[in-house]
Amino acid sequence: MYDLLIKGGTIVDGTGAPGFAGDVAVKDGRIAAVGPGLTGEARRTVDAAGRVVAPGFIDPHTHFDVQLLWDGAARPALAHGITSVVPGNCSLSLAPLKAKDRKALVGMFQQIEEMPPEAFTEAFDWTWEDFAGYRDAIEPGLSINVAPLVGHSVIRLWVMGEAAGQRAATPAEIAAMQDLLRECLGAGAVGLSTSFVDVDEHGHPVPSRYAAWAELDALSAVLGERGRMLQIVPEFYATDITLARIDQLAELSLKHDIPTTFSPLFDSRFTPDNAERALQRVEAQFARGARVWPQMQTRPIDISFSLLRPSLFFGRLPRWVRVLRLPLADRLAALRDPKTADAMVEDAGPDGGAAMFADLVVRGGDAAPAALAGRTLGEIAAERGEGPARALINLSLEHGLDVAFLAASRGHDDTGRIGPMLASPFVHIGASDGGAHLASFATYGDTGYLFSEFVRASGALTLEGAVKKITSDTARIWGLKDRGELKVGLAADVVVFDAATIARGEERPQFDMPGDGMRYVRDSAGVEAVVVNGEVAWEGGAYTDAKSGVVCALN
Amino acid sequence: MNAAARRLPEPAGLDEAVVTGAEIVAGHDGAAELLVRLRHGNGAASHVTLDAGTGFDLLRAAGAASLDGLVGQPWRQLIKDL
Repeated sequence: MYDLLIKGGTIVDGTGAPGFAGDVAVKDGRIAAVGPGLTGEARRTVDAAGRVVAPGFIDPHTHFDVQLLWDGAARPALAHGITSVVPGNCSLSLAPLKAKDRKALVGMFQQIEEMPPEAFTEAFDWTWEDFAGYRDAIEPGLSINVAPLVGHSVIRLWVMGEAAGQRAATPAEIAAMQDLLRECLGAGAVGLSTSFVDVDEHGHPVPSRYAAWAELDALSAVLGERGRMLQIVPEFYATDITLARIDQLAELSLKHDIPTTFSPLFDSRFTPDNAERALQRVEAQFARGARVWPQMQTRPIDISFSLLRPSLFFGRLPRWVRVLRLPLADRLAALRDPKTADAMVEDAGPDGGAAMFADLVVRGGDAAPAALAGRTLGEIAAERGEGPARALINLSLEHGLDVAFLAASRGHDDTGRIGPMLASPFVHIGASDGGAHLASFATYGDTGYLFSEFVRASGALTLEGAVKKITSDTARIWGLKDRGELKVGLAADVVVFDAATIARGEERPQFDMPGDGMRYVRDSAGVEAVVVNGEVAWEGGAYTDAKSGVVCALN
Repeated sequence: MNAAARRLPEPAGLDEAVVTGAEIVAGHDGAAELLVRLRHGNGAASHVTLDAGTGFDLLRAAGAASLDGLVGQPWRQLIKDL
């Protein structure tokens, strides 16, 4: 008897092969049979008529390290069809970490994740120091699979203490880091992450940025013992430096026979040759036999701001620039001055700022009335009988300037250019940053957006091609042993979705972080059931009690 | 630095870079950033992206009321004050 039978769907098996009508049977957490007209009894049957049945999606760039300690589903990632996540990116993981270094690491995590302090003091007990201990802390509560990276910054912190953020390592310290990395890989780490960009809460470079080349080379040698991944954050804002990093990754990949990946890689209409040059360099290095995977996100980049802090969003408006650069008390006084406000409105154009501001969205989650969240400034201004520029000023003043606005899709937003890049066999779809930037923007729903924008709307990828990119391609790149395809014997990670409606929902604030902390989230649309290692973990819009997630096995 | 080194000329082209344009772009963290386009003395074009704090500092250094006031300014003079 099967444990689960998913019947009557269109099987898109993750290999890129055309979908076909069939069923998927599951037993003991594994796929037991795939094909048309499967017979045999099952303890549980899921009707997938009219739906796509695919392998669970894999998100290779997340920061769920902390959230996994109290939320084993990495909500809302699981609801979007994601059955495996890679945390520990950008040089930061929660282990190995000595008790005395917790405060330092919390500062770095808060900078990246924007998580409230209560998340580190009330939501869990620090029961571990080593990597195996962290694994033991999260694994019993998992409903999603985890393939954790170990962070270079914490490896340095363990070995060098405070000096980790001050200087290069000595040969003895490098040797100690190698031993520690070896131990972490033995405890289930899927690879090492490092960063050339990130800073802590004081604006100081994270420890990994003090590493000399010999250190990264030595650590890559340890990765080479097991063929594990090196992930880096390059200086993505400077194309020439990114190209140099691609070359460096290629040398490490060839020398130590390891896969490498860098993230993020963006497209921009203002600098249209940036991504193209990076991809050309990647292709050239692949031709040499190196493995350097650029991670590109599917979602466009939005700009958000409030009048609480100066934003370059107003950089073309002289009077706005002058006022917003003032200290807060002076800024408030200036905005309340009718003559100044009139001049600012005049600055915004004869249409009252309609062209510039009407499409802005009030984000919510701050001092603005909740009823305004998600509405455009143009609509709100019309109701108030004001122009958009005037409404922006007045609405902000009414709530102590703590009103956040969103200018949607202002970067990485040209579907016609990005689609072919995402479809490229040299591009790794990822860089979602799931679980990070909580108070800035939602890092969820990129998989839904892949289907709605790049399969249905633009046709840049086929349905089967899109599924392959975020399932078997990802599993192969990362060496996840038994995931990424609907194939007999592999782990039964399955998502059932409606190809006509799968998408990401609108961004909205949600107060579900420890200490009633706020984050921006997006709900899923069109995802009907998510199965993790044979157990239904999400269906009908709700999470189940399943705790079937594991730390992923590797090749 | 010895006296001989001090007498070395500046690298050709870099000393004559001027700002040819400035754009507001979306940064990775969701903030507006400043993309500054440069034309060097040797004719080469390049650009640099600045975060909000540095962008406002650049406006101040240029004495510019807005981004448009950056155009035509000598780059190396501007960044001396940053």
